[in-house]
Amino acid sequence: MKVHVGRTTLLLASVVTVAAGAISARPAPPTAAKSSIGNTGALAKSAVKILQENCVACHTGANPSGKLDLSSRAGLLRGGVSGASFNKTKPEASLLIRAMRHDGRSMPPSSKVGRSDTDTVAKWMAAGSPWAETGIVIKSGPPQVDDYARNWWSFKPVRTVPMPKVKDTKWGKAPIDRLVLAKLEQNGLKPNAPLNRAQLLRRVSYDLIGLPPTKAEVEAFIGDKSPNAFAKVVDRLLASPHYGERWGRHWLDLVRYAETNSFERDGDKPDVWRYRDYVIKSFNDDKPYDRFVKEQLAGDEMPDAGTDGLIATGYYRLGQWDDEPVDPEQARFDELDDIVTTTGQSVLGLNVNCARCHDSKVDPLPQRDYYRMVAFFNSINRYGNRSHESVMERSMRPIASKDVVAKYQADLRAHREKLQQLDRTIRGIEQKAQKTFIPVENQEFRDEFKRPGLLKLRVPNVISQAEYDDYIRFLKERQETRENPPPGLETALCVTEPGAKPKETFVLARGSAAAPTEKVEPGFPSVLVALDAPVELNPDGSPTTGLRSQFADWVTQPSNPLTSRVIVNRMFQHHFGRGIVRTTSNFGYTGSKPTHPELLDYLAGRLVSGGWKLKALHKEILLSNTYQMSSAPSAAALKKDPENELLWRVDMQRLEAESIRDSILTASGQLNLNIGGPSVLVRIPDEVLAGQSVPGAGWGLSSPGEQARRSVYVKIKRSLTVPLFAAFDAADTDTACPVRNTTVVPTQALSLLNSQFIQEQAGIFAKNVAEKYTEPAEQVTEVLWRVLQRKPTTVEVNRGTGFIAKMTATNGNNRMDALKQYCMVALNLNEFIYID
Amino acid sequence: MSNTFCGRTRRQFIWEVGAGFSGVALAGMLDNGFYANQAFAADGKTAFKNPLAPKAPHFPAKAKAVIFLYMYGGPSHIDTFDYKPTMYGRDNQTIEVKTFGRGGRRNVGRIVEPRWKFKQYGECGKWVSDLFPNVGKHVDDIAFVHSMTADSPIHGSAMLQMNSGKILSGSPCMGSWINYGLGTVNENLPGFVVMLDPRGGPISGPKNWSAGYMPATYQATVISATNNPILDLKRPESVAADSQRQMLDTLRQYNDEHEIPRGDNSNLKARIASYELAYKMQSSAPEATDLSKEPEHIQKMYGLDNPRSAAFGRQCLMARRLVERGVRFIQIYSGGNHNDANWDAHGDLFDNHTLHAGETDKPIAGLLEDLKQRGLLDSTLIVWGGEFGRQPVAEYERGTGRDHNAYGFTMWMAGGGVKGGVSVGQTDELGSKAVENPYQVKHLHATMLNQLGFDPNRLSFFYGGLNQKLVGVEHTNTIKEVIA
Repeated sequence: MKVHVGRTTLLLASVVTVAAGAISARPAPPTAAKSSIGNTGALAKSAVKILQENCVACHTGANPSGKLDLSSRAGLLRGGVSGASFNKTKPEASLLIRAMRHDGRSMPPSSKVGRSDTDTVAKWMAAGSPWAETGIVIKSGPPQVDDYARNWWSFKPVRTVPMPKVKDTKWGKAPIDRLVLAKLEQNGLKPNAPLNRAQLLRRVSYDLIGLPPTKAEVEAFIGDKSPNAFAKVVDRLLASPHYGERWGRHWLDLVRYAETNSFERDGDKPDVWRYRDYVIKSFNDDKPYDRFVKEQLAGDEMPDAGTDGLIATGYYRLGQWDDEPVDPEQARFDELDDIVTTTGQSVLGLNVNCARCHDSKVDPLPQRDYYRMVAFFNSINRYGNRSHESVMERSMRPIASKDVVAKYQADLRAHREKLQQLDRTIRGIEQKAQKTFIPVENQEFRDEFKRPGLLKLRVPNVISQAEYDDYIRFLKERQETRENPPPGLETALCVTEPGAKPKETFVLARGSAAAPTEKVEPGFPSVLVALDAPVELNPDGSPTTGLRSQFADWVTQPSNPLTSRVIVNRMFQHHFGRGIVRTTSNFGYTGSKPTHPELLDYLAGRLVSGGWKLKALHKEILLSNTYQMSSAPSAAALKKDPENELLWRVDMQRLEAESIRDSILTASGQLNLNIGGPSVLVRIPDEVLAGQSVPGAGWGLSSPGEQARRSVYVKIKRSLTVPLFAAFDAADTDTACPVRNTTVVPTQALSLLNSQFIQEQAGIFAKNVAEKYTEPAEQVTEVLWRVLQRKPTTVEVNRGTGFIAKMTATNGNNRMDALKQYCMVALNLNEFIYID
Repeated sequence: MSNTFCGRTRRQFIWEVGAGFSGVALAGMLDNGFYANQAFAADGKTAFKNPLAPKAPHFPAKAKAVIFLYMYGGPSHIDTFDYKPTMYGRDNQTIEVKTFGRGGRRNVGRIVEPRWKFKQYGECGKWVSDLFPNVGKHVDDIAFVHSMTADSPIHGSAMLQMNSGKILSGSPCMGSWINYGLGTVNENLPGFVVMLDPRGGPISGPKNWSAGYMPATYQATVISATNNPILDLKRPESVAADSQRQMLDTLRQYNDEHEIPRGDNSNLKARIASYELAYKMQSSAPEATDLSKEPEHIQKMYGLDNPRSAAFGRQCLMARRLVERGVRFIQIYSGGNHNDANWDAHGDLFDNHTLHAGETDKPIAGLLEDLKQRGLLDSTLIVWGGEFGRQPVAEYERGTGRDHNAYGFTMWMAGGGVKGGVSVGQTDELGSKAVENPYQVKHLHATMLNQLGFDPNRLSFFYGGLNQKLVGVEHTNTIKEVIA
């Protein structure tokens, strides 16, 4: 079998391709725009390229978005449904420019065009929007797999990055710093000063393990004058088992991890928590990322992957599953789409899903490419076919070792033999008695529990008392034996296939399972594959086709330009609050472009050359001066670069839902740091349970100690979300979640003021502090330490003691009530959930 | 609203606290001064830039609010509003008819004759069954769509479609789209409200009012007809009002001090303001749902004097009060839980529909009458219906139970710029399938959006590489015949 990577016939005509000029992905430097006012040719070329790269994907073709066609000057002048895009009398107030500046409306929708690029377009419009002399002709139609596509920044090979020259060689010594500093210096900006030590420790602790540092850790770090003090901290955190809980959770967001199936029954996915533990353990073990991805895609086909490899393929079983679909074959393709979408976006940063019904209108991804990718997965068994038994058959496999299985089988045999022996003995006594039965007694005898009575009537004439006593004893023994079979084998939720023969795959017209057209073979996106590559099948008689392994090999081969870039960008995103590419799951035409393309390639290169190990790369990033900058504003820098595109500081970050809950439990002293195992059930208020068709179904309550486990272990039920998680933007579980939202709404305040959870925890927090400290000033200091991990100022302490004194004197509050209210203050502080 | 943004970049961070709305005028949306100060927190000085700040739709709207009376389980259209006179007298006849329900596909069935008589009502002479004698009086304000179809005859997926346009979960529900597109003119109340049947929620529960891939800000708030209408709204009894105010004042001092050197981070200011708003909500939301001040004749109008209709009546009356206070989308569920606790009449059709129609007829009529007398019906779109209808034939060998029918069913709309006294589309003589002007759920959604001032093909949200729309990617028309 061969992969065919040829030109694809395009069926639809409504997107964009570039006819003239290979277009560089790099925006024109602002200085070029400035100097070219007199030379409209160069200015126009820059401006039109900017439109082309940012706007034209949607705004052209037979049915341009908003009826605005930006593929020609005529279209620009004509405008769209929102009116003229060009204001001749006041070019600066043109709708196009205002939309690009996100003034009133925001265009493009996925990301904002850089300020200098928008300035260039504004200047070009002020000069009358000349177009003809650029020589650029934009023609309509879906994006083609052409030179423009192959030269798109994310599809080009990862480059070896030459190090730029910098003035401040001390700050810019490490490669990461040098790459950041060079851009800052070019733009006349200075990097922010380093963050103070207490705050730095807080930042890196939340970043790596999702938990605040202890007071002792803060004091030790502040007191450690050695030059490698911070490196020691980073090493400690990376070695912590809680690192995997934090970074594993990031991965779980991407694979839309949930523990139920959604739809009417929203049934549990058996043993799915093993996949969650596998992810956590993989991060803790610093499993190479290529291996990690491969195991999830094809661990069952990897001879050396063992049990972990099988559990990893639970990846295919995480999605929603309709157990009574209206159209089963369409539902099967919906499930395959879910896998292709998740894999495409999360691993490759590509919206392959946009090519399911037709050629992608925004990326060079023909519909054929979509089905060629589907072909790798098309042979897998559906999660189940309606019944629980079918799920067990198709998605569950034992994971015990050979020895354990052998022992289990021996135990099972012994158990069966013992039962048979007992049956024979019992039967013998019964048969003796049965000879004297009248017909109605024979009928009664069918009920097992009536048999002793029937036999007793025949003591001592037919059977002796001793026989009867034995009989009763054997019955009891048989019952006990029946009730205690050898414990079952542990199982894993995993992928299965019916055999080595792959299912044929066809392009489906308009994505309809009922409309197969051209047959396709498994293959990779044509824009990324230069030559036909053979795809080998497993030999006949194998349990699977082997196709997934080959897909996994292609995804993780070092020359794949997307896989390494996408993962290092995600690492950067979680360390800095935003990716180098802000649209972290979209590296295509509609995604935002890297603010630091060289840095991205540098990091991708380091990852691959370091054997795809994340921990070393974490360390390199965290030890950079860049990471250790403060988040403080600077008037001059804000004026030049309000969005911090150039990284003159580190942006403040809000804690994620899980960290907020874990930190509240840490402050109250309740957090249970046990690792792994089946998920726990925390209290969900009755008002929320009332929304279920059977209130409380599929939920319950773990013991108080278990309820205080870290949030990553709280059960994730698709149709029922813990309110605190929902309020603070926990990941949606139906689709991949590459970036958490960070909303600010009053319902969050209500949750942190009035919920039973916060009230309980504040009470425990107060009691816990009062047991250790008696003086109000000491109590206030301790409360603030626990939420802010720094020494409070005198003003802050006095404000707290004043509050406690005032509260104690009013409304019938006693000292403990007052201290509890002060704990409420502390748990609601902005500084508690916003990290500098 | 083609000026959407992608929900997945840091830009949104800024957008969500309102920075992106600087160009949107608040005043243009509002009728009077009632809301003029709503953008300010309780202290009267902190401007709170709400992600739900009011936004103008594409063109002037006929409807400002929607009340969706959701008949969960699937009411039988031929026993309620879709009159099939030729079926009478044919009870138990075996006929050839293609059906598809939870029991699968069948080609033959035993007719269950409609179990109620129909009468003509209003100037339009609309035939309505004896299940809805009170609603019948309002037919001249109602537009019936008899030719609705859905993609699935299974509750879970069909409900998701009726609520979110898709049979798979993960997409935002109708109310979320409206919350996103219009915002709310009253910051003290949620923009999208759901009220549940006391017997329980519908199957799939909160998936039916989820914001899907949109930020959770846009999801529904479940409101209950108790003195604690919204989750966590009520101050704990152990905390005196004064104490909470003092606590908030002290919190404010710390937060202000923290914010000053970080003045460029608008989230910090927004969060400070959100506490003041939350404090205000604690008094304003209970006021909105407090029915004690409603005069007796109004309470009676909604059937509050009859234990059978009181629960749904209270919800309808609350809905009117919420509409008056600027809430945009209210969904009330008739029926909850499973089996006969909702309209899913697989067993005894007569008992089931007598129960559920009896609970809702008077309140729905009262709602229509009350809105009309207050001049609110013109600007409030009422939608009635379930996820599908029911089959003309019996599900089992014996009895009157009907299985699900997604091939044809009835929904109706009233108010909000919809024509009264009209009936659109037809099912065949049995009501087994739509045969004239068949419409899909997306056409109903398009019509609802249109009445709210949106071009349904332009209201979009960029997600997963696509401009996602409630009505799907293909151009979708409204049900023109019902639009006044």
